[in-house]
Amino acid sequence: MSHHLFLLSPSDTPLYSLTHQSTKPVPSVTSPLASNLPTWSTSAFAGTLTALSGASSATQHTTGGAVRVGGGQDRHVIQMIANAGLDVIEDVMRKENMMYLKSVDKFNEWTISAFITPGNMKFVLLHEGKNDDGIRQFFMDVWELYVKTMVNPFHTAHTRIRSSVFDNRVRASARKHL
Amino acid sequence: MTLEVIFTFPTHPPPRSHSPLSLLRPSQFPLAVIGVASCAQIDSLNSLYSQFDASLGDIFPPGGVYPLVKNCFVFEETEGTENLDPGETFPGLIVVPRIMNRKLHIGTLLGVICSQILAEFGVLIRTLENPLGNEYLNATLMPVLPPLSELPPPLDSLSGPDQAPKFPSHNSQPDVSRPSFTLSAAPNLKRNASSTGNGPHQPPLGIQAQKKRLSTIGVSSSHGRLYKVLGDFFLMAGRTEDAMVWYTEAVQLFKNSHDPLWYACTLEGMATVAIIDAWAIGQGLHNSSSTVKEPWTDVSDKLQQAINLYLRTPAPDNEQIHALLAFLYCGCVLRQTSLLFAIWSSKGWGPLAFTTMLRSATKPYVPPTLEDGNWVNLERLSAITGISRSSISAVLTQMHGPWLLHLGQRERISILTSMATFYASLGYQRKEAYILREVLGCLLDLLVCGREEDGYSQPSGIPPTAGLGIHNLHPVPSASWGAVGVRVSESPSGNESILRLLKYVCKVLGINLDVVGLAQDTLKRTSELPPSLNDYDEDIVQELCEPSGWPELQVGVVREAVAVAEALPDFPTVAQFALSSLKMLQSVLSPGDQYHLYSTATRALITAHRRGDARAVEYWSGRPIVSISIAPLPAIRIPLEKPRSIQHKANDLKPLIKGIADPFLYNPRKAVAGKGNTLVVQNDVLEFVITLQNPYIFDLELQELSLSTSGVSFKSKPVQLVIPAGTLHQVVLSGQATETGTLTIRGCFVQAPGGIAREYILPLYTTEEEERLARKRRTITSENGRSKYPGLEGCRPQKRSSTTTTESSAGTFTFRFLECKVVPDQPLLRIRRSSVTHGALMLYDGEKSTIRITLENVSPIAVDFLHCAFEDSTIVPAQKALAEGNLSVFETYETENSLINNPVFSWDQEEVKVIAHNQNFTLTLGCFGKVGCTNGTIHISYAHTHDPQPQDSDIFYLRQVSYPLTVTVYHMLECSKMDILHFPSYGTSPSGTDNTTKDRFSTLRIDDDDWCLFSLEVRNTYGAPFDVTLERTQDGEATASSTTTIPPGSVSRLVMTIKKILIDEALLSKPIPTLSDRQFVVAQSSLSHREEQAQRELFWYREELFKCVRGRWRETGGARSGVLSFRAQRMTLPMLEAFRKEIAHITLTLCSIHELSEVPYRAAQFYPQANEFVQLTMKVTNLTSSSVVFTVDLETTPLEYVLHEGVLTDLPIGHLQSGESREIATSLCFLTAGHFEISAQVRGFGASETDNRRMARTYITAVVGSG
Repeated sequence: MSHHLFLLSPSDTPLYSLTHQSTKPVPSVTSPLASNLPTWSTSAFAGTLTALSGASSATQHTTGGAVRVGGGQDRHVIQMIANAGLDVIEDVMRKENMMYLKSVDKFNEWTISAFITPGNMKFVLLHEGKNDDGIRQFFMDVWELYVKTMVNPFHTAHTRIRSSVFDNRVRASARKHL
Repeated sequence: MTLEVIFTFPTHPPPRSHSPLSLLRPSQFPLAVIGVASCAQIDSLNSLYSQFDASLGDIFPPGGVYPLVKNCFVFEETEGTENLDPGETFPGLIVVPRIMNRKLHIGTLLGVICSQILAEFGVLIRTLENPLGNEYLNATLMPVLPPLSELPPPLDSLSGPDQAPKFPSHNSQPDVSRPSFTLSAAPNLKRNASSTGNGPHQPPLGIQAQKKRLSTIGVSSSHGRLYKVLGDFFLMAGRTEDAMVWYTEAVQLFKNSHDPLWYACTLEGMATVAIIDAWAIGQGLHNSSSTVKEPWTDVSDKLQQAINLYLRTPAPDNEQIHALLAFLYCGCVLRQTSLLFAIWSSKGWGPLAFTTMLRSATKPYVPPTLEDGNWVNLERLSAITGISRSSISAVLTQMHGPWLLHLGQRERISILTSMATFYASLGYQRKEAYILREVLGCLLDLLVCGREEDGYSQPSGIPPTAGLGIHNLHPVPSASWGAVGVRVSESPSGNESILRLLKYVCKVLGINLDVVGLAQDTLKRTSELPPSLNDYDEDIVQELCEPSGWPELQVGVVREAVAVAEALPDFPTVAQFALSSLKMLQSVLSPGDQYHLYSTATRALITAHRRGDARAVEYWSGRPIVSISIAPLPAIRIPLEKPRSIQHKANDLKPLIKGIADPFLYNPRKAVAGKGNTLVVQNDVLEFVITLQNPYIFDLELQELSLSTSGVSFKSKPVQLVIPAGTLHQVVLSGQATETGTLTIRGCFVQAPGGIAREYILPLYTTEEEERLARKRRTITSENGRSKYPGLEGCRPQKRSSTTTTESSAGTFTFRFLECKVVPDQPLLRIRRSSVTHGALMLYDGEKSTIRITLENVSPIAVDFLHCAFEDSTIVPAQKALAEGNLSVFETYETENSLINNPVFSWDQEEVKVIAHNQNFTLTLGCFGKVGCTNGTIHISYAHTHDPQPQDSDIFYLRQVSYPLTVTVYHMLECSKMDILHFPSYGTSPSGTDNTTKDRFSTLRIDDDDWCLFSLEVRNTYGAPFDVTLERTQDGEATASSTTTIPPGSVSRLVMTIKKILIDEALLSKPIPTLSDRQFVVAQSSLSHREEQAQRELFWYREELFKCVRGRWRETGGARSGVLSFRAQRMTLPMLEAFRKEIAHITLTLCSIHELSEVPYRAAQFYPQANEFVQLTMKVTNLTSSSVVFTVDLETTPLEYVLHEGVLTDLPIGHLQSGESREIATSLCFLTAGHFEISAQVRGFGASETDNRRMARTYITAVVGSG
């Protein structure tokens, strides 16, 4: 089961992202409708478009070679889902003043949970299973780490987080809670 | 009771692949087809009918059940056309005569059609009712009925003990008894709500159904499906009560058996019945809001149940059936969504909601209040209805899943489109953008597939970008013609919509693809427009704006947009997209992407140009110009502006001294004055250095770069250039100003290949301009940190509106540009030759010589003014020392003296004639060797002063030509040990009888003791001998000189007698003068009055000394000569004493008391006798120019052997006029024999004993004999 974490600045720019592979099994409740198909984020939907946009310049001689063939999840799709989830997150944000938004959105196999800091940073987590407590704990950890990063006077709300300490601690927390 | 017929007019017939749905979802198919034909007199009905039949056959498969009724209305064009053959009858062909009341007539005809449909329903049911039909119905998951003709007619005997007999009564009733107008619109209504157009049906084969069929034909099959079909038909016929009855029956049966698909369809039908009932009743239901459950929850639950059932339907092995299953599932989700959406958007369950659901557009109906997407309005709807937008979105999301891949292309597009529309209406733009991206992907799949199939696509690996299908006109290439390419013109219709879609998706993700515009005209220049502040500031605003959006997604979506535009193909748009994204995303694009986008754009522009596309892109790459400056002219061409008044002024020394005499370290006025307009000369070639920048990683090509000027006319040629990647690059543009006046350089025109020229202005960075920019930056940066408004609407448009308001307020701002003043044509001189070899001048210290410079006028204009100015390396240090002010007064004088009186170069201002075109003129300049001078420059200013424009006459323009020289000055004669000695007179008969001495005395003409001796040592440190001459010129004395040859390395002492002088008190009291009229000279000395007096005295006597003694030298055996300067020598107090004449002249004489006997006097010695009184007579003469009161002090040594009368000190002499003498006498007696010295000291009254200046001394020696 994989998790995708994005820390988004108030202008929707990702400042940090993390992909975490959890050892927990994926709760597979796929519909018979989709029985013989891969999950959405691994399928090559609109492959022509991808191929055209990606491989038309440099890789012309290996047409199609640059297209991702099966295998891992399409990072682009994951990002699109996280980005699309912002619609609902912003909606909820304006109505309620909770920081932890549990499973605010779902898209295909992904559930989106979010955490909004008082500074309008959004932590968006894409996950497949249910793990409310773990995710809440995880978000609190990330928040604490984020605040510690922001203590740095040279860090603005729009600076990318490149600290390896931050990265390691977030990963540790992810291993612990997710 | 009014009845309504509701029609659906599908634009396409249901696809053939949907035929398995014919029984499962009859509402999917058109029940009736009405052809409309117009009939003129000549047309024959026969042909019309066959035409109708043929086109019908095209659309519908021959074996299908639908359409149930096919009619063709033939409208008569003219009234009473009787040529139609009434004898011939065609089934379904109805002639509509041209009568007055056509509306009613057509209504009646439609009624007939409806009744026909109902009758057909009956027929269909009757077929299904019989066991065989029922078996067909239960045979597969999505059964298909064979053509009716193949089925045996219904036999009562075959029908078992079922409820079959019941149907006919029920069934036939509506057909027969009801008036034809009661046709229900229900099926259509249902389909409208679903809004998915013509959907497919699922054709899965139910395995257990097959089994059933094999084991027991007809009998054991459940009647669930039959009841469901019955319910469908009742629903379509508008009899909702009956439909509900049959649906309920069916549900009972489905609950026990395992047939989830049909069960789900039944539930959908029941939900539809509920909606139609509510619609039919009208507003009545609105009152029931008091109940706990909203009225629609039941419907919604049913639909949700259906959705779940669809999801659980076991996957069939047939791909086509699978696609239909997915289609049904999606349709059901859409139905559920549109139910919730309709209720939400029409503020609750009510007539408006029903109307919304009835609308037959693919776009969900959005009430006008929602169209602005105001969040508050959206939320208000949620508050009223209790349906949150996120819940609608959650329902809609169920539709998106891997099963979309099962769907056919067109169905997928239509489903995704509806999904996007719902999201858009909900205000979820990002989700909409995501779905739209998938829609684009599907469209592109179709596009590319279609192209590959049409046989025109390229044979080789040329990407589908080049939409030109080139193929050979002649399949067999003939040798004479070669291959001729033919382009199949493609229809661009629809491209616009796809591009709009792309732009929208990009806009949602924060990229404005229109930022680089497309325009038609490539030649237009916008120089007439006043420079716009917004345009100018655009770059600053852009560079400071904080990044927004998701860079990785932006890059991806932009690449896709470019690819799509390329595939369409629409080449100008490709370029527009690529360049816009380069401009917008420059900071986040990777080098590869930048390069890709740029090369794509370049390629596309070339292709577009080749194809004659008139559109061109605007200039895009930000502000390319960093700075513009005028390249400095070569020194000889620089014109200088001077006031006319200097034209006839003599050589002025002030500037020489004043060189850097500015008392202020920083003089703002000077800085301003220095920044005056650059002067350039008309018709001279001007060069402008333009610094360009390229922040991208690829070489930026500019097709044209030219200056944008205003003011006087300016000729210049544009250049084409390539700015290397990631650098600042300098180019030189040259041109000529053809008029006099002011030339303003506003900026540059730049034009990229295939683009439109754009002007970039470049104002001067004046203080106001800098202030304005700084303010702008502050405004932006202060806004940057704030993220008050979340969401897409929040960050972007807010900022823009605020900036526009500030800009409009500052609209009156005017720029200042680089300006230069163009002056009339000027003459040009050049140095043709000079007498100095290699520009190096060798001089001895103090040498005086001349150099000659020949000038040539190379311009057609005559020179009538010439002026020389000089500069050498000794001037600057001296000026600096003077300016620092640390020199003593004396040193200051010396420095100034050397600057003014002994310049290295000098020019005696000759009368300058006019130098005409191509004429030469020779200048002769004097040189003076000054130690320490290493180089010098001769500046020759010249002008054509004759001014044709008298109004401008207070200034004229000069040009300068400079001649630099290297100067070497050898220091060969060193003076030292200057001294002035007393030169006492030893009487007319000196003791020595040496003739030579006598001769020398006589040559020196010492006949007086008013002389002193000047001596100086001169050392020759050079390698050649020099003749050195001392010269004396004194008033009233003959000129004397003495010459010595000094060999190399030796020292000679030069001696010269000079007459003592006495300088007036009045002159002595003057301070040491300054040669320049420098101001602010503050006496820094802390000398006492007396010291100061002494200093002045030294100074003035020294000056006087140098006036009367001069040194000259001459190279022995050579032609070089010069002066020997003593100015480095110091004058000391003893020297002064020796040089100065005393104030009084004293003569001491000893004589005997008795008049008769004189005291013998020999060789300046008196010989008196001891113990005899002698008289000492003192004669004092006043030598000063004023009258003085004198006293005299006498002293004898040894004193103890002398008797004297009275006191010896302060003997009064009295008041003496100038030149007056007086004698006084006193008596002495020497008591013993021996040498006595008697000295007298005359003092002016009041002078102290130490004041040497006011004293005069003399002494005599008395040798006293004993007897």
